[in-house]
Amino acid sequence: MRRIDYPEPLQRLVAQLKRMPGIGPRSAERIALWLVGTGRQEASRGREIAETMLENAAKVRPCDRCGFFTIATPCEICRDESRADGPLCVVEQATDIIPLERTGVFKGRYHALGGRLAPLDHVGPEDLTIDRLLERVKEEGATEIILALGADVEGEATAQYLAGLLREFPELNVTRIAQGLPAGGGLESADELTLSRAMTGRVLLSK
Amino acid sequence: MGWGGSPGGGMLTQIKLHDFRCFETLEVEIAPGVQFFTGDNAQGKTSILEAACVLLRLASPRSPTLTPLIRQEARGFALQGYWGSRQLQFYHSAERRKLVLDGVEQSGTAEYLRAARLVYFSNTDVELVRGPADGRRRFLDFLGSQIEPLYRSSLRAYERALRSRNRLLKAVPVRWREVEAYDTPLLDAGRLLTDLRRSLVAELVPWAASAQAAIRTEAATGGPEALSLQYQPGAGEDFAARLRESREEEARLRQTRVGPHRDDLSLCLGGQPVGVYGSEGQQRTTALALKLAQARLLEAVWKQPPLLLLDDIFGELDVTRRNALLNALPTNAQQLITTTHLDWLRDAPSGPIWRLAGRRLEGTI
Ligand SMILES: Nc1ncnc2c1ncn2[C@@H]1O[C@H](COP(=O)(O)OP(=O)(O)OP(=O)(O)O)[C@@H](O)[C@H]1O
Ligand SMILES: [Mg+2]
Ligand SMILES: [Zn+2]
Repeated sequence: MRRIDYPEPLQRLVAQLKRMPGIGPRSAERIALWLVGTGRQEASRGREIAETMLENAAKVRPCDRCGFFTIATPCEICRDESRADGPLCVVEQATDIIPLERTGVFKGRYHALGGRLAPLDHVGPEDLTIDRLLERVKEEGATEIILALGADVEGEATAQYLAGLLREFPELNVTRIAQGLPAGGGLESADELTLSRAMTGRVLLSK
Repeated sequence: MGWGGSPGGGMLTQIKLHDFRCFETLEVEIAPGVQFFTGDNAQGKTSILEAACVLLRLASPRSPTLTPLIRQEARGFALQGYWGSRQLQFYHSAERRKLVLDGVEQSGTAEYLRAARLVYFSNTDVELVRGPADGRRRFLDFLGSQIEPLYRSSLRAYERALRSRNRLLKAVPVRWREVEAYDTPLLDAGRLLTDLRRSLVAELVPWAASAQAAIRTEAATGGPEALSLQYQPGAGEDFAARLRESREEEARLRQTRVGPHRDDLSLCLGGQPVGVYGSEGQQRTTALALKLAQARLLEAVWKQPPLLLLDDIFGELDVTRRNALLNALPTNAQQLITTTHLDWLRDAPSGPIWRLAGRRLEGTI
């Protein structure tokens, strides 16, 4: 007797869904079955999702200037005249911009590197938008670069690398955001290296 | 250094092995005091102790990676056990690692590793004394990460910075700007690790000297020399300066030449390195003294003796040394002892004796 698996179209569907982040083989199978379904209603579910994907995914691209998500360059942030021209905040990923924006503290523009220097993962400076950052510093007349990079080994190295390059601009202030404790977590929940960094980056409250 | 006190206290009460070494499944109930695992060669005695070590410390005493621990033909191994009231579960395969503490999957190792402490005695411990320095660094690391949580994180950060930097030094041509960007994380983590190892050795010194004195059997002939330990930092006294000075050598040899990855622990008896001048007996005694010192220090920090895993170490000791060692072990510690036979034991053992045959545990007295 031949052992029966799902028909080929269904298997192909599962294979494609598995490529999505966070979707394992079991979830892929569940979603595929949900899409295939049995009735008319289910068939239109699949169509709706597929159309939305086709229509929208291709529209959003990184801003050629800062790397943030946009429909057209310059993006909404780069176009915003009310933002200060002086400070430029450098982050690893475009997704890092959203949490910073939500704080409402920073009033300047951003630059997403598209990663960080990570020789162990074969990521070098040429894989990041470092050249464009240097151009922007010249063109946009930045006065301060705030490095908002990760506190781990690669984040630290990337910050050092950029600080080295930016020394070519003697007028420019280069700062690094303080490495502190995540709010909401007590001391006991912070990992030890974070804690020790927070110790070195402490702030004077009174003398 | 350290947290002091003990969260939850405890000892190992049960361990389950699944697809670990030669075992498909094995469940062992562990008694409080001393217990023996006997059996012919290649029955899996060492594997049981190794499983306890891996479950509690996530590291094997005999293999630098965990891959060889996966039973041949299996995809991954699973270990489970209780330390006091805490339940620990560890799954490892080529693709995935999963840590569960009290039913909660852990994203990091810190909380999990906080649960238990142990010392592993092995019949290859003499390599600590006469073997290369990396064995002594691993000895310090295994101990340090059971005392000070910062130890493990700074070691991890240092190793990552070092591997990154060495990768960059292998590039042709070397792009020095990138190499230098890794100087800061290397120096930060390296200085921290150096400090931690230095104070760890300082704490170990008195315990090692007294342990050596307690088990020394050649006192009549060998003189009253004390064992001395000295930390030798591979970073020198000024890591940043040493690193700068080593640039040329780095360019030539294409690797980072100075730093804690070149640390050593010098072991001397009467001012002479034991590894070079010591007799076979002195070398074995020194290795045992280091492990005993580890146990005593852990006991002092945690106010409770660690679990002692003793793999086949009594068989090759002479009678006097064997009894000296038995007497020197913390009496109230939980002990798992493997041995092919028990002929050497003079008194009837107080705890259970398990016999391993055909991958199964049999009978207990
Ligand atoms: N990954 C593995 N898969 C299957 N079997 C393994 C694996 N690793 C080791 N073994 C086998 O497990 C058996 C038990 O090994 P172990 O070292 O635990 O024996 P032991 O009882 O301590 O022996 P000895 O008295 O010689 O020290 C050996 O036959 C060994 O070859
Ligand atoms: Mg063995
Ligand atoms: Zn933009």
